[in-house]
Amino acid sequence: MGASFLSFHYLIRKIFRYLFSFVIILLVVFLLPRMMPGDPIANLVGEDVYLSPQKILELRSAFGLDSPLHEQFFVYCMKLYQLDLGYSFHMHAPVSSLLIDRAAWTLLYIGIAIVCGIIIGVGPGEKAGWESEKWWAHFLSAGAVLISSTPPYLLSLIVLVIFVYHFGWFPLKGFYDTFDITSIIHHLVLPISVLTVFYASRNFLIMRGAVLSEKCQLYPQFVRSLGIPEKDILSGHIRKNAIIPLITLIALDFGFLFSGALFIEIVFSLNGMGSLIYDAILSRDYPVLTGSFLVISVFVIMANILSDILCIVLDPRTGRNE
Amino acid sequence: MVLTAAILACCCLPVMAEEKILRVATTNEVKSPAFIGDYTLGLFNHISNPPLMQMDQNGKLIGLLADHYEVSSDNTQWTFYIKENQFWSDGTPVTGDDVAFSIQMYGKSVPNAGWIGETLTDTAVDGNKVTFTFNKPYTNLALEFTSYSILPRHIWESVENPNEYTSTGPYVGAGPFYLDNVDLNAGKVIFKRNPYWKGTSPAYDAVEISWFKNEDAAAKALESGAMDTYWKYASSYPYAAVDSLKSSGTFEILEKPTSGLTFLGFNLKKEPLSDISFRDAISYAINYQEMVNIATLGYGRVPNRGFIPPAMDGYISTQAMEYNPETAKKKLESAGYKDSNGNGIVEGNDGKDIVLDLLIRNAYSREAELVKEYLEKVGIGVEIRSVEDNTWFELKDTYNYDITLTRTTPWGMLMHANWATGYFDSRRTGQGVLHTVDDPVFLELCDNILATTDTTLLNRYAQDVQNYYADNLPGIPLYWKNDITPYNKKITGWYSNPLYGIMNEFTLTGVKPVA
Repeated sequence: MGASFLSFHYLIRKIFRYLFSFVIILLVVFLLPRMMPGDPIANLVGEDVYLSPQKILELRSAFGLDSPLHEQFFVYCMKLYQLDLGYSFHMHAPVSSLLIDRAAWTLLYIGIAIVCGIIIGVGPGEKAGWESEKWWAHFLSAGAVLISSTPPYLLSLIVLVIFVYHFGWFPLKGFYDTFDITSIIHHLVLPISVLTVFYASRNFLIMRGAVLSEKCQLYPQFVRSLGIPEKDILSGHIRKNAIIPLITLIALDFGFLFSGALFIEIVFSLNGMGSLIYDAILSRDYPVLTGSFLVISVFVIMANILSDILCIVLDPRTGRNE
Repeated sequence: MVLTAAILACCCLPVMAEEKILRVATTNEVKSPAFIGDYTLGLFNHISNPPLMQMDQNGKLIGLLADHYEVSSDNTQWTFYIKENQFWSDGTPVTGDDVAFSIQMYGKSVPNAGWIGETLTDTAVDGNKVTFTFNKPYTNLALEFTSYSILPRHIWESVENPNEYTSTGPYVGAGPFYLDNVDLNAGKVIFKRNPYWKGTSPAYDAVEISWFKNEDAAAKALESGAMDTYWKYASSYPYAAVDSLKSSGTFEILEKPTSGLTFLGFNLKKEPLSDISFRDAISYAINYQEMVNIATLGYGRVPNRGFIPPAMDGYISTQAMEYNPETAKKKLESAGYKDSNGNGIVEGNDGKDIVLDLLIRNAYSREAELVKEYLEKVGIGVEIRSVEDNTWFELKDTYNYDITLTRTTPWGMLMHANWATGYFDSRRTGQGVLHTVDDPVFLELCDNILATTDTTLLNRYAQDVQNYYADNLPGIPLYWKNDITPYNKKITGWYSNPLYGIMNEFTLTGVKPVA
């Protein structure tokens, strides 16, 4: 059988597995919020408000929470079939419109940070792995370890205090003051920079580690014995193998693009997906939680499929052993 | 000719003055542009759509949109007289119809105002007079009506479901300012001056309320001078940030005792907490002054056994809480709780060591650690169970704890029969309440309060409630606290009331730059 047929067969099997995962996910994202302790109606009414049991029952019925769980799941699936993710009790809006609004902003700041993190982290990481004995490689590695091990919330706050409070170069919060491109860029520079630094340092360390491990294999020595220059060994042979674990990780980053970055959103008071989900957890807003988890899961699955395809393209041996 | 016309035009054009904006920082976040449905926007919209009543700086109820009110002798009919000469921001006069429509709409459409729908039987409008008739005596209406913003009927009557209605604005209002814009992505709401406002003219053209998702960023916003003041419902400016703000030299501090407090609640359905002697012993085990120093950084004071803080109307002085571990040990011993096996922990009636399950919400972990330390010193074992809010609600509602540590809000202190009764009356439920007291004496006291609007009687009942708390200790107050409101030194005229702090009409029409 040809190599391409094996790879195609491997991919088809993977896609079936993902479809099966999707069905399981559908059930989990529905049940998980409902299994948490707490009552969405009590949250809706507020902490210092008294309502008669009759009124509470009426509200429960109005939000469809009085029927058995299997009936609620059936209704949910029927609505989902019509691409209706439900209505938020607390945000007073359809979940789909909430997700579209929040996801657009989240995509903007996390998407840019992921891309910048790849650009800044992968190249130097590869170089640092290849020339690992050089002083600058040690220096960059130490810096990357330091950043990776700093709690994100702390680093964000330090950045806020230095660049916003002391220097006054950037605004304190929000996506903009007035809705125009200059204001948006001005507001997003700092959150994107902090996220980029985190992504870049992680990519740097993984790429460095992967190159270090690949260069000790036999094939680079064989290639070297053929008289191929060092820089071509790196770019033509090692890079292809070293980047595979990173592709899976970056694919996951894109998958979780819509989950937001809660710590960044809290420090810079941004209205993204992270805080939408966090607030929904606190208020037990089932439709928002179920909708968000579902969208994130779908994106993670899609990103994994893309990563599988990319891995097959880069290394046709992928999946042959299965 | 063209040149002359241009010069004349330039001379005739008004010079565009810079808009004067009052900037308020908060950590109360608006989650949705739902004017009525969003909790925080519902607090802010008192600026633009004044409720009928408000509280003065001493906690007395006074008119806001209403001039005054009358109550029938059986407390079933309440008549509010609307102030004359009030106009919506679109130029329409405010009428009794607006008030009647608003209150009926809340009863019908807003979940947390369901009690209105259940009890209001008739609404009659006669000029500026609106009479509400209820199916049972209702004595707290003036207080309840400090929280329901009045809406223009001619705008809202066409809205099918007002609670779910969302718009970024502008919204027509009758206060000194109207809500011009809600921008969730910029994190701010902007109120603009109501052109038809006939009261004291505000010195500012707009009020901008910006919310932050964390207190540190809000504090830095003040220190940088980007904000003029800080406000958060039922909370103070973070105590830990006060000194740093003071050192900036730009801010003054408004310090006011608040009616909200932090307390230890007991599961009175379980032994040994059902034993007053045991609770009394606990009351002597707690180092209140240390609590004040650590939890409020000194911006508070040691509470009294009567629970109710001095900031509340009807407060009476009762015995101050006393820290005396030796007294606590003696009281435990005399009540029969002895450490007979010498392991440092007293035993209960069943002969087993008393190890109390201290259930707390995550936010109170520091206070809980202190309580654990204090109780262990007098021989009471404590295990802290820290949970998130929703789990706490569920566990305390099912009485799955021994003691808990929680707080009251200014509104919570006033709910039900006033003076914190809403937190203890076993006939009530709700997220923040403990509903642990089923003593007929206490329940009768609550019913008596709920049956009268006579101020002399109410003052007597207020005393009775506080004496009941002092004698029976259904809850032990850990500290009374002061709310800190920082404000820009260059602005004067701040006014604070115990319910909504500086977020009131007196402040918004009274603040002005220092001359």
